[in-house]
Amino acid sequence: MTAASIKEKQSLIGTSVPRIGVDGKLNGKALFSNDVAPKNSLWVKALRSELAHAKIESIDIKDALNTPGCVAILTAQDIPGNNSFGIINKDQPLLAGSKVRFVGDPVALAVAISEDVAELALSKIHVTYTELASIFDPEESLAPGSPFIHEKGNLLGKRLIKKGAPELAFEKADVIIERTYQTTCLEHAYLEPDAGYAYFDSDGKIVIYASTQNPHYDQADVASLLGLEADRVRIIQTNTGGGFGSKLDLNTQGFLGLACYLLKKPVRMVFSREEAFLCTSKRHPLKIKYKSAASKDGRLLAIDVKIMGDTGAYASYGLAVVSRSAIHATGPYEVPNVSIESVFAYTNNPIAGAMRGFGVPQVAFAHESQMDLLAEALGVSPLEIRRRNALRLGSTTATKQELTASVGIQTCIEAIAPHYEAIRNKTNSKDSKKLKGVGLGCMMYGIGNTGTQNPSTAQVELQSNGGIVLYSGAADIGQGSSTVLIQIVATELGVGAEKITLVNADTGLTTSAGATSASRQTYISGNAALDAARKLKEAILTEAATMLKANRKKLYMKNGNVLDSSGVDSSVSFEQIANKAKREGRPLKWQGFFDPDTTPLDPETGQGKPYATFAFAAQIAEVEVDILTAEVTVKKIIAAHDVGKAINPESVKGQIYGGAAMGLGFALMEEFIPGKTVSLKDYHIPTFSDMPPVECLIIEEPEPTGPFGAKGVGEPALIPTAPAILNAIADALGSRIYSLPANLERVMKAIHSGASKMKFRLNQ
Amino acid sequence: MNLEIDFCLNGSEIRLSIKPWETALDVLRNQSGLTGVKEGCGIGECGACTIIIDGKAVNSCLILAAQLDGRKVETVEGLEVDGKMHFIQQAFLDKGAVQCGFCTPGMLMSAKALLDKVENPSTDKIVEAMTGNLCRCAGYVQILEAVREATCMKAPLNKDDVTNS
Repeated sequence: MTAASIKEKQSLIGTSVPRIGVDGKLNGKALFSNDVAPKNSLWVKALRSELAHAKIESIDIKDALNTPGCVAILTAQDIPGNNSFGIINKDQPLLAGSKVRFVGDPVALAVAISEDVAELALSKIHVTYTELASIFDPEESLAPGSPFIHEKGNLLGKRLIKKGAPELAFEKADVIIERTYQTTCLEHAYLEPDAGYAYFDSDGKIVIYASTQNPHYDQADVASLLGLEADRVRIIQTNTGGGFGSKLDLNTQGFLGLACYLLKKPVRMVFSREEAFLCTSKRHPLKIKYKSAASKDGRLLAIDVKIMGDTGAYASYGLAVVSRSAIHATGPYEVPNVSIESVFAYTNNPIAGAMRGFGVPQVAFAHESQMDLLAEALGVSPLEIRRRNALRLGSTTATKQELTASVGIQTCIEAIAPHYEAIRNKTNSKDSKKLKGVGLGCMMYGIGNTGTQNPSTAQVELQSNGGIVLYSGAADIGQGSSTVLIQIVATELGVGAEKITLVNADTGLTTSAGATSASRQTYISGNAALDAARKLKEAILTEAATMLKANRKKLYMKNGNVLDSSGVDSSVSFEQIANKAKREGRPLKWQGFFDPDTTPLDPETGQGKPYATFAFAAQIAEVEVDILTAEVTVKKIIAAHDVGKAINPESVKGQIYGGAAMGLGFALMEEFIPGKTVSLKDYHIPTFSDMPPVECLIIEEPEPTGPFGAKGVGEPALIPTAPAILNAIADALGSRIYSLPANLERVMKAIHSGASKMKFRLNQ
Repeated sequence: MNLEIDFCLNGSEIRLSIKPWETALDVLRNQSGLTGVKEGCGIGECGACTIIIDGKAVNSCLILAAQLDGRKVETVEGLEVDGKMHFIQQAFLDKGAVQCGFCTPGMLMSAKALLDKVENPSTDKIVEAMTGNLCRCAGYVQILEAVREATCMKAPLNKDDVTNS
C-alpha cells in the first residue's frame, strides 16, 4: 500500500463526524452566555434613549444612586479610554456623551445587586435632552442641508465599479430592463439573546465571557475603551446561540468590561429579547435601481446598478456591505460592461451591520428578478438565460478578476436543471384557486473579507502523551467550524478526530483567527490549521526518520504512530517521538498562518481581486399561491451548492437547510419596523409549519487553495432562496413583486395585477 | 413573603421556597440550577424554555413557579438515565439536528411530550406539536428527521416512560 492510498483511507474529509460539544447541547449542560455568572455577580443594565436624535444636556444620577442596592451609575465621563468603538469605523460610543443618534442608544449604566434594583435605579436617572431633527431615509440624509448625524457628515461610504463601456452597450442592446427593488430592515433573531459575565482574575486581568463571533476583535476594542493594553483583557467565548453577524459587534462586552474594571467586582449582563431587538444590529435595507441590457441571443451586455443603503446610526460592518453589495451586483454572470455605484448613509434608524451575506441577499433578489425579466422579454427560459451567462473558467468578474479555478455555477445549474424541467411540466390542478409556480435563484459569494488582509492563525501541538492539541481563535457559533478544523488536522496527522483536543476562541489561550463571518472559517482558518498540522507533521516525520533510521520519504502516519512503508516492520509512536523531541529541545507546537490572496479595489474603478475564491449556488423554489387569501406556501426547495469540498457533509446540509429557512423568512415574512417591532410577537421567523422539504445537491469543484479543496457555505446557503421564491411567485401569478417581504398585501396586489394578463380568473 | 412548593423534578421529590411572582423558568434556572432550560423570549413565542408538566409540553416562562406545586416536572437534564442518552437525544445526534444548541432542550422536551403520548405520530402531527419551538440555525429539516427517527427507534423505555404508558 502506498503512503498516498493509506492517507486516502484514513481521511476524515467528506465524513460527517459528529459535532464537537454536541453532548452538552443535548443534555442541557452546555453553558451559554447567560449560564456562567456566579450568584454573587452584580447586575449591569443600560438606560437607553427613547429619542432618535437629541443633544444630551445633562444626566442627573443623584436619585438613582440613592436606590438601595444600587452600587454605581456610570456615564460616558466614567469611560477611562477611548469612548468609540466599531469593527471598521470607530464611530460608536459605548455610552452616548454629547448626543444620542437612535432609539436605543445607551446613555448610562446601573450596576446593582439584582436585576430588579438595577432597573429601578435606571428609572431614577434624569436625562435632559434637546431634541434634534431626525432622518430616517438615506436619500434625505445625503440631501444638501440635512442635519449632520456624525460630525464628518452623513455619508458612510461609496463604492464605484466600472468595467468596459456600459453607455455604448446600452445603445446597442436588443433588450433593456430597468426596475427598482427595495428590501427592508431585518432582525437576526438568533435564539440566544446576548449576555455575558466579567470578573478580575488573580493576575489582574479582566476576563469576559461572551456570546461572540470574534473574541480577538472584542479584546482589542474593550481594551481601547478602558485605556488598557490588549493583554489586560481576556475574552472567552461561551457556547453561542447563533449570531448571523450581529454578534460581531460589542453587544454586552464593553459594558461588562467597563463595570468590572471600575468596580473591581464580578458583573453580569443579560439582554431581554426586547433589548436585543432594540439595540443590536440589523440587516441593511437597500434600494437597488437595476438596469440590464442583453442581446437577442440572450447574452448580458451591460448592467447599470445604483444601490442606496441605510446603515442607521453607526457604521458597524456597514462599509463591508457597501463594497460587497456592489461587487456582487452582477450575480454569478459574466457581464462585459458594468457601472455600479453603491452609496450608504447614516440615518437615525437602528444600526445596520453584518447579517449573513453582507448585502448579497439583497442584490441577489434584484439580479435574479432581472434575469427572469430578461428571459421573458427575450422568449427564452429562465434556466437557459442563466446557462448562457453563468461564469466559467476564464471569465472575469465586475472587478476584472479572472476566475481560474473552482467555478461551479454551471455545474450547479445543470444539477438542478432536470428538477426544474420536471416541476415546470406539472400543470395547475383544476382547483385553480391555488396556483403553482417555480422559480430559480443563483448566486456567487466571495469567501473572506473584501479586498483586505484577513489572516487566520492556529497552532498544533504534540503533547508528551502523544495527544494532539489544536489551538484556534475561531468562534464556532453553531455552524460547525470547530469540527471541521479538527477533521482537517486529524486527517493531516493520520489520527482519529477523538485524538484532537481543541482549545478555541479564548484570547488568553489562542491567537486570532479573525471573525466568524464572510463564510471564511473553513477556508481561511482551515488553511491556517492545515499549515500548522503540516509543519508538525514534518517535525514528527523528521524525528521518526532518525529514530527508525529509515528513509524519510517512505514514512507515513497511522493512528498515532509513524510506520515505514518500505516493508521494514518498524514503527515509532507519537508519544516516543514527543519525548525525544522534548528531551532534545525541539519544538512540538507549530504555528500555522493563512491569508487569502486578495488586492484592494481601485477607489475609482473598483478593479482588483477582492476575494481569493468564490462559492456558487443555484436553487429552485416551488410555490403555491392561494389567490383568495394571498397565502404563499413553499412546497419544495432544491439547492445545489458548490462548496469546493464538503469536509463535513451533514454540516454543509445543516447550513443549507438553515439558510433556506432564513431565505424563506426574508422572502415572505420578515420585516423589522423601527419603533413598531419590539419582540418575537411581532417579528415572525419561519416555524416548523413554514418549512418545505429541502433537497441538497452538494457540488464539489475543488478550490486549489482551499484546505482539501474546500471553500465555504454559511452565507451562500441563504442567498438564492428568496430570489427563487420571488421568481416562483411571479411565475405563478404573471405579476412580479419588487419589494420584500412578499407579505399578504403585496401578494394580493400582485394577484390582482396578474389576473388581467394571466389565464386565471379571480371570481370562479 | 415566600411560598413553599413540593413537586417531582426529574424523578426526585423536591421542596423549594419561592417568591409568588417568580416564573417556573426563573426558579428552575436560578434555584435548581437547571440552566438547560433556556430563555429565548420570555413571552412564550420561541419555545426554548419548554419543560414537561404532567406529560404536557409547557413554556416555563409563561407559568408561575407556584403552579409546579404537586406536579411532575421534567426538564432536559432528566433525559439521560445512568449516563445513557434518551433515544430522542440519540436521534438528534444521529441526524445532525443540533447546531447552536440553544433551541435543542426545548425541542427535545416537545418531542418527548409528543412521543410519550402518541405511539407513531404522522409528520403532520410532529409538525403541529413542534411548531411552537423556533430554531434559527437548522431550518427544522434535520430536527424533523430526528423526531421521525425517534418514533421508529426501538430504544428501551426508561422508567418514567413505563410509568406514563
